[in-house]
Amino acid sequence: MPKLYVLNVPEFEGLIESARNKPNCTIRSVGQSYRCIESDRPIKFVRREVGVGPAVWYGAFTGGIDGRLVDFGREEVTLVDA
Amino acid sequence: MSTPANLKHSGPSAQTPPSPALEGVHHTARPTWKLAETVHFYSEVMGLKVCHAITAKGWGPEDHPDFLHFFFDSGNGSTIAFFYYLGSQRPVDPVPWDHWLYRSVHTAWRVLDRGTLMEWKDRLESFGYDVMVVKHEILESIYVTDPNDYMIEISWQMRPLERNDAADARLTLKAAIEVEEKTSRPVQVIDDIWRAKARLVEQLTAGGVDLDA
Repeated sequence: MPKLYVLNVPEFEGLIESARNKPNCTIRSVGQSYRCIESDRPIKFVRREVGVGPAVWYGAFTGGIDGRLVDFGREEVTLVDA
Repeated sequence: MSTPANLKHSGPSAQTPPSPALEGVHHTARPTWKLAETVHFYSEVMGLKVCHAITAKGWGPEDHPDFLHFFFDSGNGSTIAFFYYLGSQRPVDPVPWDHWLYRSVHTAWRVLDRGTLMEWKDRLESFGYDVMVVKHEILESIYVTDPNDYMIEISWQMRPLERNDAADARLTLKAAIEVEEKTSRPVQVIDDIWRAKARLVEQLTAGGVDLDA
């Protein structure tokens, strides 16, 4: 099950909002500082849906991942099982 | 963080005195082989006042014993300084001058808001500079290069740094060092750090560890 950890700061909030619109994603709190986006299938993120510029996009997984990034590019990326 | 075994100096011990207060960066210093151009750029383009200059004879090594060392007031008590080694040539570099080895070394000035940043963009463009604008995580920045090809950045910080940020940064570095210790080589891909960090985030929060500690 791919997982993405997101630090609770404004610049990464778009990841959470994007995940809320994905039917198979769940979001849970991990302590007070992080949330975890997880799904039973691959999670695809689209930069314009996340609403960030390239600099933040390329660092958007800094909270940590459980899984493997495929098709990582400037506009889209998919997180799959490891 | 623990001290790696291969570091020359040991970590703090019970006998180690506490860190005395440091009051911000007084100056950074770099060599220049373009005296007039550098003085023009920092005085006229960046608008910084020359505030100190040292002229020394025989103080440098044999191949350039004399030098100028000059400082510009860069705001809030800080300065930016240059060495002008008389009679020296810039060493031939093993890599191109625009290589990331040099590009990564830069000085960033703070401005208080986006409006001021855009005023700087306009000003630098009026001098004919191509100004690059980048919105980072907490900084929005503009970039130009000085006559020495040193990168100059001006930034405004879009939000204050919180305890979360520091805790997260420590976890990032802890994850990276753990990857290197586990593989016995410099970390190769960022994904390895991200995977190690996810484990740390889960472990620490599951254990009830205060990330702010």
